[in-house]
Amino acid sequence: MTLHHYLILAAVLFCVGLMGAFTRRNAIVVLFSVEIMLNAANLNFIAFWRYSENPALLHGPMFTLFAIAVAAAEVAVGLALVIAVYRHFKTVDLESLNTLREE
Amino acid sequence: MNEEIAFWILAAIAVLGALVAVRKRNLIHGVFALLVFFAGLSGLFLLLLAEFIAAVQVLVYIGAVGVLLLFAIMLTERVAGDDGQRMTSRRWFWGLVMAVAVFVVLLLPAIQQLPSPEAAQTIKPSVEALGKKLMDPYVVTLEVLALLLTAALIGAVTAAQGVRMPKEKDSPE
Repeated sequence: MTLHHYLILAAVLFCVGLMGAFTRRNAIVVLFSVEIMLNAANLNFIAFWRYSENPALLHGPMFTLFAIAVAAAEVAVGLALVIAVYRHFKTVDLESLNTLREE
Repeated sequence: MNEEIAFWILAAIAVLGALVAVRKRNLIHGVFALLVFFAGLSGLFLLLLAEFIAAVQVLVYIGAVGVLLLFAIMLTERVAGDDGQRMTSRRWFWGLVMAVAVFVVLLLPAIQQLPSPEAAQTIKPSVEALGKKLMDPYVVTLEVLALLLTAALIGAVTAAQGVRMPKEKDSPE
């Protein structure tokens, strides 16, 4: 197993998440596509750490730990916002949330 | 050799889980596929000798985020038989093209130009060192993170509660 295996896997996962964020219309699905992308980035951090010159410094796990905490905060606030939007518009379909585009 | 087999199996689990999560029409099934993806990724972290991160991945993502997503879906969507509305964009093909373009144009050349270093064969059990690091150089970051989590907690409660008009105080909610 080389570093490149892990990096290409992370890139593939990132693109899957990107595709989800581009193509789905449900706000919750877009939110968890973003989570998939964040997790791919975390995999990159850990892979670079494992293949770094001095893994005893633990830079990779530290950064990943903080990234996971921030992502958890992000998903909590994001879902609360989705629920607030649902109360107001009675839908979470992103293409029908077009109030700012009033013709 | 064993590591290689484990890598390919876990990679297949992660990619398939992510693909199903992104493409599935039924949101509940999608979230369960997402949990499979998180579990596969946790296995990959174990393979990279980051056992604490693997445990955190299971606790935070499979435990907390999964349940949170399920609750949000049940609060907002009609879950069963959701074919009433078309949930996939008609232009999903262009989304696929864009994702593949990002992969081919940006990520692949960047990855290929990296040198290929050797892996560290053994890393001492790192949880103790991780705790010490959190206290010594990273203590400010830890405190800021605690503040951020508190703010996110209050913000999430406030946002989900909705704006309460003074007139509507007698409404059943």
